[in-house]
Amino acid sequence: MDRNRKLLISILALLVLSSVIAIVDISMNMQQKHGMGISLTGPPVGPGVGVVRIEGPIQLNGIQSPFGGMPSAEQVIRRLNELEQNGDIRAIVVRINSPGGTVGATQEIYEKLWRLRKKNIPIIASMGEIAASGGYYIASACNVIVANHGTITGSIGVIAMSPNLRGLFEKLGISMTVIKSGRYKDILSAFREISPEERQLIQEIIDSSYRKFLKDVARGRQMSESDLEPIADGRVMGGESALKYKLVDALGTFEDALDKARQLSKLSEDAPVYDETRTPFEQLLFDIGGRFTGQGITVPDPRGLQFENSYRVEYRCVQ
Amino acid sequence: MILNELKSLRWADLLLYSLLDPRSLYRQINRNEPKAFTLSFVMPAIVAIVEILTLSLLGKQTPFFYYKVTYGWILLFLCQALASMIAASLMDMASQFFGWKGNIREFIILINFSLFPRVFILPLVYIFRVFNFAPLFFHAFFSLGLLVWSALVVIQGVSEMHSCNFGKATLVFLFPAILIGTTLFFMMILLAICGIGYISI
Repeated sequence: MDRNRKLLISILALLVLSSVIAIVDISMNMQQKHGMGISLTGPPVGPGVGVVRIEGPIQLNGIQSPFGGMPSAEQVIRRLNELEQNGDIRAIVVRINSPGGTVGATQEIYEKLWRLRKKNIPIIASMGEIAASGGYYIASACNVIVANHGTITGSIGVIAMSPNLRGLFEKLGISMTVIKSGRYKDILSAFREISPEERQLIQEIIDSSYRKFLKDVARGRQMSESDLEPIADGRVMGGESALKYKLVDALGTFEDALDKARQLSKLSEDAPVYDETRTPFEQLLFDIGGRFTGQGITVPDPRGLQFENSYRVEYRCVQ
Repeated sequence: MILNELKSLRWADLLLYSLLDPRSLYRQINRNEPKAFTLSFVMPAIVAIVEILTLSLLGKQTPFFYYKVTYGWILLFLCQALASMIAASLMDMASQFFGWKGNIREFIILINFSLFPRVFILPLVYIFRVFNFAPLFFHAFFSLGLLVWSALVVIQGVSEMHSCNFGKATLVFLFPAILIGTTLFFMMILLAICGIGYISI
């Protein structure tokens, strides 16, 4: 039995040896791949740049699902408040990837950014694929606008749309019974032609919103309204044209925008960035949510689903 | 006293029997000489670290390894020990269905020692990794082989414990797997139905 015991001890010793060799092997492989081996990168600390992301159509209440959703104007403002109250935030980069949205929601974000700008917090807009109409309106509140060469921007203007289904309803033999308290209560109804008076009323809202748009952009860009007016005809433009017409200050990427923010706030080159990115788990849930609710890579247009509420005045680039 | 016990190398008999003669292993456990209950939990601890090392050798080697080998090892050991205790309880329950006397303490010891053959996964897989000859395939192959070896240790131990034939001992051994497997299967189906219902409504 003693001989067997010694044999077993030898086996155990070999097992221990193979374990030690395995640990050394793994550690050496890691050192070759990762240099110092252990790299403990903690969460960012100290003065830095805060990031706010505005993605998809701008609405006061975003599209929500149990797994997340598109950020609403209220969420953006909440995020801006958080950054404002955080003593470590010296500059803010607003990452915009939006074709615009409702007038009220856009103006709320614009005003919030303007208040921050007045408090001498450097704000830099970084445009993604698209920052048109309401997306540009928001960007104009920032001190500096950085656009990519291929960014679609501009589209300064206001739009209100309503489908006219009268012909279809007549074909189908459907008529709508409307009981209303005033002559304009069913303005922009999809079941009849719009009257000249109604058109005039809507046009007044459009004109008023347009003047406000023009005034705010001119204020943000420190331009005169007369200089801005010739290009504020709803036209979209690429990054290069926008730079030519002084709608943006520089062409560059998100990284360039961060560098500019650090530079304006006199932060070091490696100052931390406080982003609101999703964790991989949140991203997974968001993707699953999108799949189950039929949301694809492109942003859904909620108007397509909301027939009843089909008229709204928007700072929006029609795609 | 513990040192004397260690020096006596009587504990080595338990390991040796768990490899070569499971019936003798049970007889040794039954004699309670040396006291094997606490000692048996060394096995899940060793198996946990060996499995972490083996998988780390085969997988992507990142600094996360240090977390795996410290905190991860304790976590895996606790999971393994808990699994042993649950399996022992269910096997004991199955034994009592057959009209045998309950003996959960010896079941826990037997199951813990039956894990011992699994420590050979590291040297076996290491050889194939060094030569870079289908290490993942051989990891799966040896894992299955060693699992069968562990199962045989338990089955023979149970057969010796209750003086029953190999078939009945196999039934006792499979009972936890069948019960847990069936329960989890239905739980997963019901969870998936509820989950899809929640998301789609």
